Parts: sequence; structure tokens; C-alpha cells
Amino acid sequence: MIEFKTLLFYLFSAVLVLAALRVITARNPVHAVLFLVLAFFNAAGLWMLLQAEFLAITLVMVYVGAVMVLFLFVVMMLDINVERLRQGFWSYLPLGALIALLMVGEMSLVLGSGYFGAEAFPGSQVTADASNTKELARVMFTDYFFPFELASIILLVAVIVAVMLTLRKRPGNKAMHSSEQIAVQRNDRIRMVKMAVEVDAPAAKGE
Amino acid sequence: MLENYFPILLFILVGLGFGCAPILLGRIVAPHKPDSEKLSPFECGFEPFEDARMKFDVRYYLIAIIFIIFDLEIAFLFPWASIFQEIVNTPAVKLFGFIEMFVFIGILVLGYIYAWAKGALDWE
Repeated sequence: MIEFKTLLFYLFSAVLVLAALRVITARNPVHAVLFLVLAFFNAAGLWMLLQAEFLAITLVMVYVGAVMVLFLFVVMMLDINVERLRQGFWSYLPLGALIALLMVGEMSLVLGSGYFGAEAFPGSQVTADASNTKELARVMFTDYFFPFELASIILLVAVIVAVMLTLRKRPGNKAMHSSEQIAVQRNDRIRMVKMAVEVDAPAAKGE
Repeated sequence: MLENYFPILLFILVGLGFGCAPILLGRIVAPHKPDSEKLSPFECGFEPFEDARMKFDVRYYLIAIIFIIFDLEIAFLFPWASIFQEIVNTPAVKLFGFIEMFVFIGILVLGYIYAWAKGALDWE
């Protein structure tokens, strides 16, 4: 009898791998995005099994809640022609495979070395049932407070760039502003013109 | 700790079942006799003019990215709130921990003011 947690782990990872596979094989980009959402949910489940509550909830809240909405909008905005995209798949395959191999090699060099992994970080004196979120907060708001503030600057830049790039007033917009309509004054609409009184010309004689 | 999350797992399972069961039931029980007319997309009785996937306005992108940024801000507020009691009760970091978060929020509010002043939040 395997442990319930192990069973859950295998369930989450199996669905995760299948969903990730569908992300790159789905014909419709919108379906690919939805499979990516499924993959994120399962990754969150895996993190939850590792007792990383904060990361799991952040993954669901930020990635599923916000980033994937953005992805969906981008996919819908681009109007991708899937048939044209698939043209020349086989001719690009060797180069793509080479780059992919190179990246896998680089990643294994970095991740496999002593920079990452459990050995790279000195074990913190944390008991098994300590709150992961609190532990994270203690480190983030003391040792890493500068990167934390830098993150806000990066986000500020992102807001400004997004506004600069995408905000445009379209000419000929006939939208009505109800506040302006309500606040309109009499003088805005009619103009009283002073002019000399006109007198009817005297009637012609003999009529 | 994990047993606290068991109700959520249960919720996911029930939700999955609730979503999938009617579809499966419909597949199994309902009569299934497709023909080309039934399978073709229906648009008020005439042939559809164009693809259903039309281009979205780029403005939705702006809304989404502003949403991401403030969503992230909230994500950072969570750990801060969870140790807030500790921050306040420790004299050494009392002011520092408090101001730190407000500097963070303040910088993001600058972006918010910018977006508002530029009229990015208006929907013409």
C-alpha cells in the first residue's frame, strides 16, 4: 500500500507532464494556453505536497489568475494562422533541436552544480511544521529587502512601458461622456447675439 | 500541515466530477447520430462569414498587464501580513519592516497614478 501522498504526487506529475506535452502539440493556440493553465494547477499541487504553501498559492493567483489571462489575450490578439506556422516544421527541426540541446546542456550545468540545490544553501534551522510563508517573509523582508524593493521598480517600469506601447487614442471616436453631458451649461449650447432691431420694409405702393 | 488542505483536494475532486460526469453521461446515454448539418457551426441560419477567432483589441492587453502588476503586489503583501505581528513586536525592525512595505506600495502607486493620469484606465 503506497502512501496517499505518494499517490497524489504521481497523479499530479502525470497530469502535469501530459498537460505540458499537450501545450506544445495542441493545434489550436487557445487550447495550448488552457493546457498550460492545467499544468500550472498541477505544479501548484506538487508545491503544496512539498509544503510550499506560499509558492503554490502564488502560482495559482499570479500565473493562473493573471499571466494566463494575459497569454490568452495575446494569443487572441495575434491572430495566429496555425497552418502557416506549421509550414517548414521539418526544415527548422535540426536547428531547433540543436538549440534545445544546447539549452538543456546549459541548464544542467547550472542546476547540477553547487549553485543550486539543497547543498548550496546552508540548512536553516527550521522545524518540520514551521510556516513556510512566515519563514519566507522573514528572509525576504530582512536579507533580501533590496531585491524586494527593486522588484517594485521593475513593476513600475512594466506599467509605464505597457501604457506607452499600447495606449492610443483613436481618431474619430464618437463616444459620449455622460459627466460632460450632465455638466453642460446653457452658455455652452446657445449663443445670444445682440443685433439691431429689424423693421419691416414699408409695403410697396399700389398694392 | 498537509491535512489542512485535504478539504481543498476534496473540493477539486468533487468539482472535477461535477464537471465531467454530465458530459460523460451525455456521451454514454444520449443517442448519437451525427450528420454534416448537425456538426456544422450554426450562425442564425446562414453560413458563417468568417472565423470565430477574430483579433482582440490591444487595450485588453493593457488591462491584463495592469492587473498582473497589482496582483503581484498583493502576492507580496501576503507574507508581510503573516509576520506583521512579529515585525511590530520586534523593536529592531519595527519601523524598518513597516516603511519597507510602504516604499514598495508607494513605488507601485506611482505607476498607478501614471496609468490613471494618462487615461489608460478609461474605456472610451
